[in-house]
Amino acid sequence: MKSEIEIEDNLLRLTRVFNAPRTLVFAWWTTAEKLQQWFGPKGATKCEIEMDFRVGGSFKQKMQIAGVGEFSSSAVYEEIVEPERIVYQANFGATSMRVTVEFFEEGNQTRLVLTHEGAIDRTFIKNVEQGTTSTLDRLDELVSSETLRH
Amino acid sequence: MMVNNQRRVSAIFAALSDPTRRGILVRLSSDGEGPVTALAKPFRISLPAISRHLRVLENAELIGRRREGRSQVIRARSDGLRPAQDWMAQCAAGWDLSFDRLDALLTEEQRKGRKDEVRNRNRR
Repeated sequence: MKSEIEIEDNLLRLTRVFNAPRTLVFAWWTTAEKLQQWFGPKGATKCEIEMDFRVGGSFKQKMQIAGVGEFSSSAVYEEIVEPERIVYQANFGATSMRVTVEFFEEGNQTRLVLTHEGAIDRTFIKNVEQGTTSTLDRLDELVSSETLRH
Repeated sequence: MMVNNQRRVSAIFAALSDPTRRGILVRLSSDGEGPVTALAKPFRISLPAISRHLRVLENAELIGRRREGRSQVIRARSDGLRPAQDWMAQCAAGWDLSFDRLDALLTEEQRKGRKDEVRNRNRR
C-alpha cells in the first residue's frame, strides 16, 4: 500500500501524494476516456464508463472482474470545484455512500485525499466486537494478504 | 469499488442503516443472547416491529435464533460483520491500485510534456 489509510467513525480515508501539479491530477478525473485508463479494481476488464461531469450529472461504470463476473456501480456528482474538489454520491446495489476527493497543492506535488462516508461505523463495530481485533488491525492484515490481490 | 459478495455486503449495510437495529446488535453483543420480548423492551416499539427488524438482521446473517420452550432466543453472530469489514479493506486496496496506475500515467504524461518542450525550444 502506497496510500495512507485511515478509518474513523463513519469514514474511510485514503491519502496519496502524486508527483504532478494539481491541474494535471484533477484532469484525470474529468472525462470517461481518462478515468477508464486507471480507475477500477484488480482483475477488471471491459471497463466501460459513461459520465456527465457536472453537478447533478451521473456516472455509470460497468466491467467484468475475473472470478466475480459483471460488476456495475453508479454515482451522481454533487459538487465540483476545479481543480480542488469533487464530491459524489456513489451507489453499489443497496449501499450508498458519499465520496469526497480533495486535491491539495504542495509545491510541484499534489496531495489527494479521498474520503468515503457512510461505509461503516467503527465505534459501532468496536461495541459489537467488544475488544476483539480492531478494524485497523484487520485492515492491515487483509491489505497485506495475497488473497486480496488476486 | 465493491467486488466480492456484493449482495451480502449490501444486506449488512442496509441492516446497519437503522438505529434500532444497531441498538439491538450492541445490546446483544454485551448481553450475549436474549429472548425477543426482553430485547424489545428498551426500544419502546411493538413486538411485530421488533420482529421485522430481527428479520432484516437475520437476512444479513448478523444474528441467529433458536427456540427455547415457547420463546425464541436471539444471539449476535460474531463473524457477521466480517464481509463488511473485508469490503472496506477491498475498497482501500482497489483505490490504492488505481492510484498506482494514475501515478504511472501522470509520470508518462509529464515526461512527454518535457520532451515536447525541449523539441519546441530547439525549433525556435
